Amino acid sequence: MSILQNVKDLVRSRSIHVSYVDVGSCNGCDIEVLACLAPRYDIEQYGIYVHNNPREADVLLVVGAFTPGWEEKLKGLWNKIPEPKAAIAIGNCPISGCVFDRRGSYVDPPVAKHIPIAAEVPGCPPRPTEILQAILSIRDSVFAEWEVKRK
Amino acid sequence: MKRTVDVNIPLGPVHPCFKEPVRLKCETRGERVIGVEVELGYMKKGIERIMKGRPWQEVMFLAERVCGICSVIHNMVFIEAIERISGIDVPKRAAFLRVIANELDRMQSHLLANFSYCYTIEHETLAMYLLDVRELVMDELERLTGARVTCAYIIPGGVRCDIRAEDQATLRISLDRIESDLHRYAKMFETGPMIALRSKGIGILTQESARRSHAVGPTARGSGINVDMRTLHPTYQQLGFVPVVRKDCDNHARIMVRFDELFASIRIIRQCLDTLQKGIIRGGGICKAGEIRYSGEAPRGELTYTIKTDEFGRITDIQIQTPSIMNIEACCHEMIVGVDSIADVTSTFVSADPCIACTER
Repeated sequence: MSILQNVKDLVRSRSIHVSYVDVGSCNGCDIEVLACLAPRYDIEQYGIYVHNNPREADVLLVVGAFTPGWEEKLKGLWNKIPEPKAAIAIGNCPISGCVFDRRGSYVDPPVAKHIPIAAEVPGCPPRPTEILQAILSIRDSVFAEWEVKRK
Repeated sequence: MKRTVDVNIPLGPVHPCFKEPVRLKCETRGERVIGVEVELGYMKKGIERIMKGRPWQEVMFLAERVCGICSVIHNMVFIEAIERISGIDVPKRAAFLRVIANELDRMQSHLLANFSYCYTIEHETLAMYLLDVRELVMDELERLTGARVTCAYIIPGGVRCDIRAEDQATLRISLDRIESDLHRYAKMFETGPMIALRSKGIGILTQESARRSHAVGPTARGSGINVDMRTLHPTYQQLGFVPVVRKDCDNHARIMVRFDELFASIRIIRQCLDTLQKGIIRGGGICKAGEIRYSGEAPRGELTYTIKTDEFGRITDIQIQTPSIMNIEACCHEMIVGVDSIADVTSTFVSADPCIACTER
């Protein structure tokens, strides 16, 4: 492995930009993602920067069961994220639909049907520490040696 | 008359300032915003349709998941509506514990709203301070109910679990700490000159236009309208609750109303702890058939449930009216129209604390 690759891996492991998209949740997981920003959990000490711009993101946090309004849009959003990228499903909703996946509802879970999901964090809602752990755990498997793996 | 619009600027659905997907189409002339159109429909899950035909044991969990930020009040209004239909009495101790849980939930919701506003006007220091205080409130909520967000604490005839004497002592210590911190932060917000430049005189919602657009909650109380459904609730009446009202009608007033309500909530919780009597926390009863329209005060305003049940305790019909839809209307038709720049659109929108998840359900 070249020195350049080592430098890239080192930089990428301490600089992860996160974007989150809400595809029809109850807001419970949203505020737990927001709570990661709080000084107690302090997501930025791991070099993770949360903002909402897909064009400069590395990790997409998907929150919520899939509603029809996102049918066209989520895939477009996913394509806007530059490589290397990964999506994490936060909460039960994007995994199974949770309480909303019943007869008569409009949701269409799981989100994995629409975009590739790298990690799933179950819970209704999961704790901020679990969300943080999920982002940190996919860091090495997705971003390390990306150029080597691509070949 | 034909309206000249220079540029149509769309904001959203994925936007750094909005927690939830909503699309605002701003019509501008120069820098000035002359009209805003709001586009909803990214979060519609059809939760009322799922609720119909299910027993109350399932619907109480669904009601909680209408909105994750103010889950306790959805739980409380639904359960109290069921209790009113069936004539179930609540033990005194449980009634006060409900108020404590509700006020803790209101505190964390208001802190989150003020955090969002400070974050939107790029005052990140104050925003992080407020988010740190919110974690203390979440701890207390977790200690009382057992969960951080969707806690299902309130059940027909009482509450799920009791508060221990040592937890009461910790709650009091935490409240003291939260209060002393919040005094400092509220003063920072009230007297900060840079914050005043971004907040005072921006997003004006006059009392008359607030009435016309049916604004509710802190948005209405920031415009001098004395409306609060807690004044009609029997337990709050016992505690002698008085609503907080400000008359400045701008973004600053709405955020200050939330700060004042935080202090009011702390006072209410202290009063509840003082008057808490020994006794059972859960009585008995049978859910019966009936129909009722019942309202409560959510952190964002008046929340109304219209429920019809059958003799087995199943929900045959339910309609939920959430506060955010009125505030979004007030925001788009009155507050944002005429602000000086696009930068003020997001901050004005966030100052009304819109919750898209409970608007669309």
